[in-house]
Amino acid sequence: MAEDQATTAMETSAVEKQPETTREAEAPSLTTKRMVVAIDESDSSFYALQWVIDHFSNLLLTTQAAEAESGMLTVVHVQSPFHHFAAFPAGPGGATVYASSTMIESVRKAQQETSAALLSRALQMCRAKQIRTETLVLEGEAKEMICEAVEQMHVDLLVVGSRGLGKIKRAFLGSVSDYCAHHAHCPILIVKPPKEMMTK
Amino acid sequence: MATGDEKSVMVVGVDDSEQSTYALEWTLDRFFAPYAPNYPFKLFIVHAKPNAVSAVGLAGPGTAEVVPYVDADLKHTAAKVVEKAKAICQSKSVHGAVIEVFEGDARNILCEVVDKHHASILVVGSHGYGAIKRAVLGSTSDYCAHHAHCSVMIVKKPKIKG
Repeated sequence: MAEDQATTAMETSAVEKQPETTREAEAPSLTTKRMVVAIDESDSSFYALQWVIDHFSNLLLTTQAAEAESGMLTVVHVQSPFHHFAAFPAGPGGATVYASSTMIESVRKAQQETSAALLSRALQMCRAKQIRTETLVLEGEAKEMICEAVEQMHVDLLVVGSRGLGKIKRAFLGSVSDYCAHHAHCPILIVKPPKEMMTK
Repeated sequence: MATGDEKSVMVVGVDDSEQSTYALEWTLDRFFAPYAPNYPFKLFIVHAKPNAVSAVGLAGPGTAEVVPYVDADLKHTAAKVVEKAKAICQSKSVHGAVIEVFEGDARNILCEVVDKHHASILVVGSHGYGAIKRAVLGSTSDYCAHHAHCSVMIVKKPKIKG
């Protein structure tokens, strides 16, 4: 009897290992679906996150039964890089002043706090619907970092808001969403904010 | 019909390209097949058949004679696209999808269909034309990304690196 139990245990662990190999072998298998949502301080990116949560929640729920197939939602925030030196209007002498380390520290801290605040807001939204979520902070040029992350992480779907000049005409996409639409190597979903006048 | 209204609507634009087929299959795999029979979206598959006259253009004398042939060819292509879409739905056991064909320019048609069905999401493939690889989206997907009144999902065929 003990042997039977041991074999069943081994079988289940073998089954669990399989999804990893299938993922490497062939793209269209239904293994870990990773959805990446890019956020920044804009409302439209949070609207995009909420949209994803509302419409795709049944794809992402953390139910035990769907363990093997439920997706992972990754929320990404890209911090703009802080240049360590700045040409402050120099006093006598005129040399470029390197920001002192305390200044770097405080700016970095401020940036981290902003990121943390954004990400915790995002996490709260996801946790409300029990979605398996992880967060990621990157530093650099938003559009490039997002596309790089997509390449490295085997992303199934990238979701971006479309800030653009929404109020003028919804004919414009913000530059990040436009860049990603052209350059990301995975399917991309561009979530547009609703018309102010249209009620859904 | 009342229950149909509660579901969000997804419109998938298809033509007879490989990218379109891939986009439809990808969409069905991700958003429909695993959830049978309670699909999270109501699915409309839309093909825009180019207008024969606009396809031929104003080429000069003899154009009028060519038009019927072009028209027959386009109808034939449209029928093929519909058949392929049906076959794909069958193979994924996805039922209840509505397949529609309209005549005109793809970009306008897709945007109109979105409005007509109050779609929440429009899915298009992307040809990625252009000498500059991947730097240029097919113009239809680009137009839809900018002008459709709903979220747009652009599905690209990935280059699977070994």
